[in-house]
Amino acid sequence: MNTGRISSAVVSGAGRLAIAGMALLCGIVAAFTLNLPALSGRVVDQANIIAADTRNALTGKLAELEAKSGIQLVVATVGSLEGQEIEPYANQLFRSWKLGEKSKNNGVLLLVAPNQRKVRIEVGYGLEGTLTDALSKVIITNAITPRFKAGDFGGGIVRGVDDIITVLTTDASEWQQRPALRLDRQPTFDPANFLLLLPLIMFILLIFSSPSLRKFLRAHAAAGSYSSGGWSSSGGSWSSGSSSSSDSGGGFSGGGGDSGGGGASGSW
Amino acid sequence: MTTPALANIPVSVLAGYLGANKTAMSRLRGVAAAVLLGLTVAGCGYNTIPTYEEQAKAKWADVQNNYQRRADLIPNLVATVQGFAKQEREVLTAVVEARAKATQVKIDVSQLTDPDKLRQFQDAQNQLSGALGRLLAVSERYPDLKSNQNFLALQSQLEGTENRIAVARRDYIEAVRVYNTELRTFPGVLWAATFFRANKPMAGFTASETSQTPPQVKF
Repeated sequence: MNTGRISSAVVSGAGRLAIAGMALLCGIVAAFTLNLPALSGRVVDQANIIAADTRNALTGKLAELEAKSGIQLVVATVGSLEGQEIEPYANQLFRSWKLGEKSKNNGVLLLVAPNQRKVRIEVGYGLEGTLTDALSKVIITNAITPRFKAGDFGGGIVRGVDDIITVLTTDASEWQQRPALRLDRQPTFDPANFLLLLPLIMFILLIFSSPSLRKFLRAHAAAGSYSSGGWSSSGGSWSSGSSSSSDSGGGFSGGGGDSGGGGASGSW
Repeated sequence: MTTPALANIPVSVLAGYLGANKTAMSRLRGVAAAVLLGLTVAGCGYNTIPTYEEQAKAKWADVQNNYQRRADLIPNLVATVQGFAKQEREVLTAVVEARAKATQVKIDVSQLTDPDKLRQFQDAQNQLSGALGRLLAVSERYPDLKSNQNFLALQSQLEGTENRIAVARRDYIEAVRVYNTELRTFPGVLWAATFFRANKPMAGFTASETSQTPPQVKF
């Protein structure tokens, strides 16, 4: 009787676990059904509405912006929003491309969906104070949508990008902050950092100053068994970890920035 | 996850060396054992539940901040609309009252496990959304108001804030899902049943799909 109750409890527990596991799996599947375009460059023209020479001029302008200020501005046109509103789609695209530096979140995405007649400027966390919602809206209504209405997609995008760059680069506080940030980056000796490391250093000293270990090392260094122990194997796995993270060195890629839905959208 | 497991290889090797020597200091062995135990426990996911809990709480703070940001925009919006459409007193009062009620309902992070509390918060905010929607619909009837620069700026800020709310809510729901799943699945369920008995599943939003998408403001 008692064992029967226990076994039924085990079964129901296992059942609950299985259901939770399945729910998790379904959640993962649902989260990845959105078919987002790849970040192939600074101008991702999936909808094919920008002429080649315009695209090259835009790419040059966007590269110059990143070289000057570190801001990653990317233009994207998509054929379909996958049945979503442009706001959640733009946010998910921004987050999957990780535009902007990780520590500054200074990325901007100009997304155009010509088939849905929708456009959006999605702003990363770090630029919300400069390229505000109101300014994004002004750029969309004044520079972009009038040209889109006339069918001039390339012209609208170029004017929109010009205006975004103007807003981003003429903000006084942004420019004044940069030299200060440079100074911070110079290596300075901070006693607080040293204090944090102190226990670790003492621990290591303690280990290596122990007479027994020294005796052991002296005994085994001559025999050569020291290098073939667990040390070399752990060193090997460390290096494999670092090499896997550096495989994205080729083309253009996002810097790890995030966006919380700042910016504005419009239609024409 | 793998880093602590790798890092404790040298420590365990050291402990082995020290243990082999009969004259090894027992104090040193104790320290090595404590470090080894710490790394092993961390490697087995002891930290996972508190980490996910803190993440979910941080996401909740984002949700509340964005609602607060919307509430902060409203006095300015009401003042602007009042300047052009004084006669719409009923709609304006409804917004002011709904705002007062919504700002009163605050949820401390420790109350996130209470679904009733979360529902209260949501109801108050939904009422404010409804009142705001009516105000924006009414303002369509006043051409002077519609072309007012201040009103246009406020409108785009409000639109942006609604979108931020939608993003913050989505992030919170996801963080809560991850945390609740960790509490109920292996190996998190073992930690939940031993060291983290006080950790209860958090409540998500029970929102209809329409309130997830920001209201469309037409110009």
